Amino acid sequence: MKAIEFDLLSKYYGEHKGVEEINFSVQRGEVFGFIGPNGAGKSTAIRSLLGLLKPTSGSASILGYDVAKEGVAARSKVGYLPSEVDFYPEMTSRELLEYHAALYGLKNAGGRIEELADYFELALDRPIDDLSYGNKKKCAIIQAVLHEPEVLILDEPTGGLDPLMQNRFFELLEDLNKQGVTIFFSSHILSEIQRMCDRAAIIRDGKIIAIEDISTLLAKQMKKVRMMLNSEVELVLPEGAKNHHSTGKKHHFDYVGPTSKLIQWLGDCDLADVVLTEPDLESIFMNYYER
Amino acid sequence: MNNALFFKELKRNRKNTLIWTSIVLTFTMMILSIFPSFSHMGEDMVKLMSSLPEEYAKAFGMDEATWSSIIGFYATYYGIYITLLMGIYTASTGATIIGKEERDGTAEFLLTRPISRGAVVMTKLGVLGTLFIVVYFLQSLVAVIGMNLFASEINWSAMLAMHVHGFFLIGFFTAVGVLMGSMLSVKLNFMGPVVGMIFGTYFLNAIASASEAVAWLAYLSPYHYMPLTLEQGQLEISVIPCVGFAAATAAMLWVAYNRYLSKDIVG
Repeated sequence: MKAIEFDLLSKYYGEHKGVEEINFSVQRGEVFGFIGPNGAGKSTAIRSLLGLLKPTSGSASILGYDVAKEGVAARSKVGYLPSEVDFYPEMTSRELLEYHAALYGLKNAGGRIEELADYFELALDRPIDDLSYGNKKKCAIIQAVLHEPEVLILDEPTGGLDPLMQNRFFELLEDLNKQGVTIFFSSHILSEIQRMCDRAAIIRDGKIIAIEDISTLLAKQMKKVRMMLNSEVELVLPEGAKNHHSTGKKHHFDYVGPTSKLIQWLGDCDLADVVLTEPDLESIFMNYYER
Repeated sequence: MNNALFFKELKRNRKNTLIWTSIVLTFTMMILSIFPSFSHMGEDMVKLMSSLPEEYAKAFGMDEATWSSIIGFYATYYGIYITLLMGIYTASTGATIIGKEERDGTAEFLLTRPISRGAVVMTKLGVLGTLFIVVYFLQSLVAVIGMNLFASEINWSAMLAMHVHGFFLIGFFTAVGVLMGSMLSVKLNFMGPVVGMIFGTYFLNAIASASEAVAWLAYLSPYHYMPLTLEQGQLEISVIPCVGFAAATAAMLWVAYNRYLSKDIVG
């Protein structure tokens, strides 16, 4: 079953394009990454999914509920962690979380609020206005998971969290995912996507330019080759090699192409040593953007 | 209607409501308490009145009855100050009660919960209506108590007509405020436009009453259709304008409601 589906969704702000014909789905139980730089259309897509923006054309659904027609049913299954944390400044964290629980019709949420606040070391009785950005983010995380949603939508979720809290947050997400929660993870911090996600969509200028398994993205992309030969020779590089630099017997270059062909080529070289490095997601991301 | 939102909004508005209500109630009691001093001056006040330019007296709805009966005296202040104060409070609250969530960035929190936009708007209008009714009835109650305290002969039917007109007039201004809030930028400070609208329409009617040459201006003012001052010591309920104002109020709220339903919430 599809947890999230974008069906040729477009959103224009007058003449300005927000997103155009976004068309992909996220399976139930999946951790799906949504990668793109600021202004690429990530937030527009998420806000359309949550019913905050009215699509110009196309539609979106959550767990089969059309968000335009059955928004209340769809949102009842969703936990949302926004990138910018704007809560009612006059409330304390406890009041906000109790208000959130009341809007979801939860009764006796006090125990769960205390449990999550302890986990994230959040003081519940301080006014939100007095909290640091990091503590506001903790409060935002708690409200996103408090009602035990089936789908979690996270928009730049780790901003403001220290490394310890980031780690706790990821552990919580991993735990929730094991329980079957679908996670839609929007971020421009690619190491987070690499750690958390099974698949990812890359968005550029409002359009989805790739949807791949993270492992596929990593596998079929550029490799960094560092090699040392036994003698100084003029090297004929394989097809797909670029950015070649050499110093005496040492050579290094980037390679895009089938790994088997690279291995075959290396076998023909008089090698003293070779190191192949997997690219990080950052490199992949830049590679997509350079196309 | 959503109970959690309703009670949160009531709590959020309580301080503002308390301040405005205190001002309106204090002012109402103060006006009524000074009536005995004026009424004891009797003929002196009538002479003073006759020395005022006729246009001035007409503009502010003053005649001999203004000084000889508590209802006439109260009517002058009710029209000038009390409806203005209550109108400014309810219209400015109406202009911001929905848009405030968007202005403060909390609309994203609220509208991503399992609550429809229609329920959000209806609940907020319900809160606005509750605040309006509370302020209106407390003011009316204090006026009734004050009249009983400071006068013996009271024209209750004129008092009823005045307050019924006040109800529809303030309701109308409140709906204009809600409509303004739905149409204009949420970042706008609505107090200026609201005060301008209410004072402007009041003085438009006052000027039209003072001079035959610009009498047509009165048609542009809601005060013209909902008289608050007495003529020959009497005032009757204007049924047709009341119905018209109720319909206009409902129409403005309906437009604002639909505008909010289709609006993009941009962070």
